[in-house]
Amino acid sequence: MMDHLKKGLSKKVDDFILIKQEADMSQIKFVNNKIVKTGTESDSSISIFAVKDNKIVSTDLKEFNKKSADLILNNISNFLKVTKQSENYFGIAEGPFKYKKVEGLFDKKIKDIDEVDITEKGINAALENAKKASGTFQSSVGKTRIITSKGIDVEEDHSSLYFSLKALVSKEASGHRTASARTLSKFNVEKESRIAGEFAKLSCGPKQGPKGKFDIILSPLSAASILGNLGDASSMFSVEAGLSFLAGKLNKNLGNFNLTDDGTLKGGMGSSSFDAEGVPTQKTEVIKDGILKTYLHNTSTAKKHNTKTTANAGLVAPDSSNIILEGKTGNPFDIKKGIYITNTWYTRFQNYATGDFSTIPRDGIFLVENGEITKPIKNIRISDNILNMLKNIDVFAKEKEYITSWEADSPYVSSNVLIRNVNVTKPTI
Amino acid sequence: MNKDLADFSIKYLKEKGVDYAEARLESKESNSFMMKDGNLEASSFDQGAGLGIRFLINNNLGFLAANKLDKVSIKAGLDKALRLTKRSARIGDKIELSSEPISKKSYKVKQKKDVRDIGPDEKIKILTDLDKATTAQHKYFSLSDHLSKKYYINSEGSRISSEIPRINFFYLMTLIEGDQSIQRMNQYGSTTGYESIKNWKLENNIQNEMIALKKNMLEGIKAPTEKIDVICAPEVTGIATHESCGHPYEADRMLGRESAQAGESFVTADMIGHKIGFEGVSVVDDPTLLGTYGFYLYDDEGVKARKKVLMKDGIINEFLHNRDTAAQMGYKSNGSSRANNFSMEPIVRMSNTFITPGKQKEEELIKDVKKGIYLKSFMEWNIDDKRYQQKYVGSEAYLIEKGELTKPVKSPKLEITTPAFWSSIDGVGSNLKLFAATCGKGEPMQGIPVTTGGPSIRLRGIKLR
Repeated sequence: MMDHLKKGLSKKVDDFILIKQEADMSQIKFVNNKIVKTGTESDSSISIFAVKDNKIVSTDLKEFNKKSADLILNNISNFLKVTKQSENYFGIAEGPFKYKKVEGLFDKKIKDIDEVDITEKGINAALENAKKASGTFQSSVGKTRIITSKGIDVEEDHSSLYFSLKALVSKEASGHRTASARTLSKFNVEKESRIAGEFAKLSCGPKQGPKGKFDIILSPLSAASILGNLGDASSMFSVEAGLSFLAGKLNKNLGNFNLTDDGTLKGGMGSSSFDAEGVPTQKTEVIKDGILKTYLHNTSTAKKHNTKTTANAGLVAPDSSNIILEGKTGNPFDIKKGIYITNTWYTRFQNYATGDFSTIPRDGIFLVENGEITKPIKNIRISDNILNMLKNIDVFAKEKEYITSWEADSPYVSSNVLIRNVNVTKPTI
Repeated sequence: MNKDLADFSIKYLKEKGVDYAEARLESKESNSFMMKDGNLEASSFDQGAGLGIRFLINNNLGFLAANKLDKVSIKAGLDKALRLTKRSARIGDKIELSSEPISKKSYKVKQKKDVRDIGPDEKIKILTDLDKATTAQHKYFSLSDHLSKKYYINSEGSRISSEIPRINFFYLMTLIEGDQSIQRMNQYGSTTGYESIKNWKLENNIQNEMIALKKNMLEGIKAPTEKIDVICAPEVTGIATHESCGHPYEADRMLGRESAQAGESFVTADMIGHKIGFEGVSVVDDPTLLGTYGFYLYDDEGVKARKKVLMKDGIINEFLHNRDTAAQMGYKSNGSSRANNFSMEPIVRMSNTFITPGKQKEEELIKDVKKGIYLKSFMEWNIDDKRYQQKYVGSEAYLIEKGELTKPVKSPKLEITTPAFWSSIDGVGSNLKLFAATCGKGEPMQGIPVTTGGPSIRLRGIKLR
């Protein structure tokens, strides 16, 4: 089918990309220690990106037969006749390329896992300290193949595992952790579930939290939904659209940290050997020693801005792969007074360009006094500016975690981080 | 549509001994266009179909999503799904479904300007005209439409066919002046053909917003910090009602089914009849309003949709249920179960949720305020996972002095607990207005079309930031 489309498109358009994705997925949803739903899905589709005379169209083919393919080719031609030219299109990558295989992205054993057993182990680990556990388990095994009009034909097997568990001792005492991995050996459901249970136990009897400026320790899960926005903000598309707090900050100092986008990260949830144009992925230093060095590009945005692609192509706009945030290491808990936040959600911006935002800590939130967790708190909000927070990053713990979550689906890799002087608010009535 | 495949799935599952089975066959034609600063960045069209099948075997719930629509693939998929569900039984919850009437119905939303008859060039022209008519440093527009044809069948005998079009427009604008900037994000949507676009008056409305926001950015003052009154205009009333009345009244949250995702609820099952707000406030969720973005007549469990009165005269009156939550709490389903598409499981969702209009004109609400803030629109907002404390930051907002709007106010922040919000209301306007929105819930995430809204409401004695 890919060859048939390739042949058809070669006659009709200037540039094209075909991405065939096949995946077998399963999901378990568990609530209050019991499985309430199991699900399976087998999905296959071919995404088509086609350009003629700088007119762009994209579509999907889902029925793999000649009749459907010919119909879609005809529809592409008709669509391109009436659509408008893009002034921002500067082409796709010229192949072919040589690829270095990224390790740890596929594990055939995942096809035969016992999802129920893994789920049960997670629940039981959480229940060592908590009374209830709820969450989801998802697994996926699939293959991606890319063919382009510029000589690229490459494919890769992939697999993924994701477990999310919220442990509760009571409605107000909870802890949440996720485990994400591409291979079984890196997937430690019991460890994460046990920590969620421990957080739940520690959270019992929370009191209304304080407002004011505080030193904050963000766990990787909580940071993923705040600092993980660095991924979107780094995309040249966001920069051009006025949706990035990093716009206009090239070569400026943003704080004491490093931000890397690494599509080649071994076992990374956002890793692959090639991007959506078929360009071999790479490790890109986006922010080095606090200085913004580059934005994330595909071939088209790179040509427009007279630079090289960073191999971050999505079909329409550059996307981050794995965002890695790191810096000076130390003990983030080495503070006199502060707040430890283990999970957040609902991060919303008042202004994406300035970075004014707020977000809500949930599950375990703790006061930290003289380096120790002392009491659980509730009902607070971080209401600050993301550039201010970046400036105030102090130290990172050593142990990094790979995070994907319900709230932050862009893969984020980091450790507990101490951020000084963060604005915390609470309801006025 | 190959309805035989849905029928085949039910027959096959019955042969396999299931207690209950349902199949949703859905085909969808869609188009979308994205324009950034006047440049058409992306256009797409799509056509696809799939089957979502749910079943109960020994009261354990299983689900299959398939887009390979042939009997061999469906059979293989169902066998795999049955195996997994049977294996899960040892730690599986026993799911009961409420008993509901059998429904047999076919319905279709009539379009005056069919989404299939309007060419890409016409749709792109809507965006280019809008680009010319509006002034901002950055403009991000997205226009999309789809036509969804669904065939629902269950083992109890229900059969429902529907044909529903939807159109949607989203924009995010940025105004910049020197080192200052302000942004505005909003959405329009309806369950109609393209005839609604004209009624939206996009060019006029958005340009007027840009003029007002520029004034706000350049001349806006800080919000007073003492206790004052707040008038929430319909857009702010709508989001607050959706977040702090609609979501916490979803029965699946109360039962913990969304605990690890969108969270639970501070509201508990025994709070029916509990007074939570001003006696002049009532909130409804009504999917049967023709043309609205959250419209449907039968939910994705085949239950007939109806208006639900969630809050009646300030008292908690009814929760949103599917057949599972209704059975657990001893009710009948009120037709609130929806899935984003065939590949997702149906879960409890809102539809069109709004405060019903009162008798006072908005001017009368404002006239009776000595000092206050008028929140016309918002940008940043959030609410905690129990729906207990919420925040709305004004985008276009004005100071009220002696009953009149006087000066623009920059980013006033209403940060308040849910009980305090509903009990601070003392006036409900007659100016009902509805707003399209996309509501996120579930895992994998399901963004479902809904409507928020209401009239202007007045809150007394509020401290803003």
